[in-house]
Amino acid sequence: MSMFKARVKEFEDVLAAPQDLIDLKQLRQLTFNGVPDVQSFRALSWKLLLGYLGPRRSSWASTLAQKRALYRQFIEELVLPPGHANKGAGDDVDSRGVGLQDHPLSEGPESAWNTFFNDNEFLLQIDKDVRRLCPDISFFQQPTDYPCDIVVHSKGEHGRRLHERVVPAVLSSANVERKGLGMTKINLITKRSVENYAAMEEGQEAHWEVVQRILFIYAKLNPGQGYVQGMNEIVGPIYYVMASDPDLSYRAHAEADCFFCFTALMGEIRDFFIKTLDDAEGGIKCMMARLSNMLKAKDIGIYEQLKSQELHPQYYSFRWLTLLLSQEFPLPDVLRIWDSVFSDEQRFDFLIRICCSMILIQREAILENDFASNVKLLQNYPPIDINVVITHAVTLA
Amino acid sequence: MAKKTYDLLFKLLLIGDSGVGKTCILFRFSDDAFTSTFISTIGIDFKIKTVELRGKKIKLQIWDTAGQERFHTITTSYYRGAMGIMLVYDITNEKSFENIVKWLRNIDEHANEDVEKMILGNKCDMTDKRVVNKERGEAIAREHGIRFMETSAKSNINIERAFCELAEAILDKTSGRESAENPERVIIDRRNNEKAPGYSKCCA
Repeated sequence: MSMFKARVKEFEDVLAAPQDLIDLKQLRQLTFNGVPDVQSFRALSWKLLLGYLGPRRSSWASTLAQKRALYRQFIEELVLPPGHANKGAGDDVDSRGVGLQDHPLSEGPESAWNTFFNDNEFLLQIDKDVRRLCPDISFFQQPTDYPCDIVVHSKGEHGRRLHERVVPAVLSSANVERKGLGMTKINLITKRSVENYAAMEEGQEAHWEVVQRILFIYAKLNPGQGYVQGMNEIVGPIYYVMASDPDLSYRAHAEADCFFCFTALMGEIRDFFIKTLDDAEGGIKCMMARLSNMLKAKDIGIYEQLKSQELHPQYYSFRWLTLLLSQEFPLPDVLRIWDSVFSDEQRFDFLIRICCSMILIQREAILENDFASNVKLLQNYPPIDINVVITHAVTLA
Repeated sequence: MAKKTYDLLFKLLLIGDSGVGKTCILFRFSDDAFTSTFISTIGIDFKIKTVELRGKKIKLQIWDTAGQERFHTITTSYYRGAMGIMLVYDITNEKSFENIVKWLRNIDEHANEDVEKMILGNKCDMTDKRVVNKERGEAIAREHGIRFMETSAKSNINIERAFCELAEAILDKTSGRESAENPERVIIDRRNNEKAPGYSKCCA
């Protein structure tokens, strides 16, 4: 317990110290060994390590205010349906120049409505994926305490909630029976699909809806890349950390802060998600080769075993590396891994070391197993104390 | 070392648009269970199931692929080794059906010429949301000369049957090459034999 207290104290000294300039080097050393699950330590450390906040505390207030206002603007411009009532505007042209010529059936390239409908293609993909995010915990299905007010108060307008655009509204059908004497009996049938995530009431929204909006805006702002499956698994843990920040003044802005942290992280790993960069330096194949080379250098026996079984690295390490291991372990372990990964200045050296350790730790089994058992083992990594893996990775220089 | 507990090993591949239910189909077949809460498949996943067909133990090694375009460079490398490919679409999703043509083209480009194919129209339990009727599925299958079935991983309709029929089709081909092991069948002409349909359609 006292060791835990000592660690908390160390974080307090670095993050909450009276001095203005935060010692990033020291912060990295601390977070590398894991951030204690108390106060805002993790949310704040990640904001600093990902470069969303600068090391000067005095700069935070203005950075946060500015970024959060910018994000608000993104929602107004990119999420709300075209021609939504602009606050205080009395003229017939709103902020996006939707004039009287534009209408939902317009197919002109300039038509904001046309864009609106084209967006629905990738929105559909995002919708499928965010509904499948972290199904083993209920967090993402819970309502957030800080819904986005301009989205959840629809004022009767359809499509402010992004998923409403791609999930067809439930139309009630009715059986009409006519009996003699002109009596008509109408049986209203409304089938409710059980697997659909429960729709939130007006004024509420679930965490997965917020994540959906973040991914949608990211895809809109990065049209060359768009949305690629797996980005949901990257944004998920970041959002979870921001949206469970014990400091409510931060938690209230989890969406905007998460968006910018996610964007910063994607800036470093975006090449993993781009097919045409697979073979480039920094592309995913290069990352897989780095892991493979490290394995070969550390343990030629395992390397040869996997090679002779034709168990190619992409069978397992493609997912490991692309998603920064977020699908391989339970969420708390993922957070612990990311503490270390984010504090690595030579990103992603340490990630590769963790991956290499995961293989080395299973040495005996891998040498014993046949191909099928080995694929299963590496694709469904067995439960393990995550600190064992990280400690092992530290020893791999 | 592990003993060889099977007579034949067949490699199968599941492809199709994202969200059509490939992982659920595989899970139903391998674990006889259903959950709608699968995380999306990134890259490629893998399951094993052993079935018995005509007295032979056949180990099915089934690869489940990610549907999105981005993963094609990773997933198409598996086409070459596959002996059977399931093309899956979702009967409640028009686009996924239209893309079957695209997936067929992918097979032509990357798979072995004699790979066995089968089209599955999944989610056939969701009748109130159906947008692709069965006839359209049958038509496209007929047009390309491949098998077709409507399935539901959720209601367990035709899943086992689909895999066994595909395996059986592959078995027909392979046993053509080892006819001595198969005394009940009289093989007159191997080329004809490859096309001959209508063997017993049941899984042991």
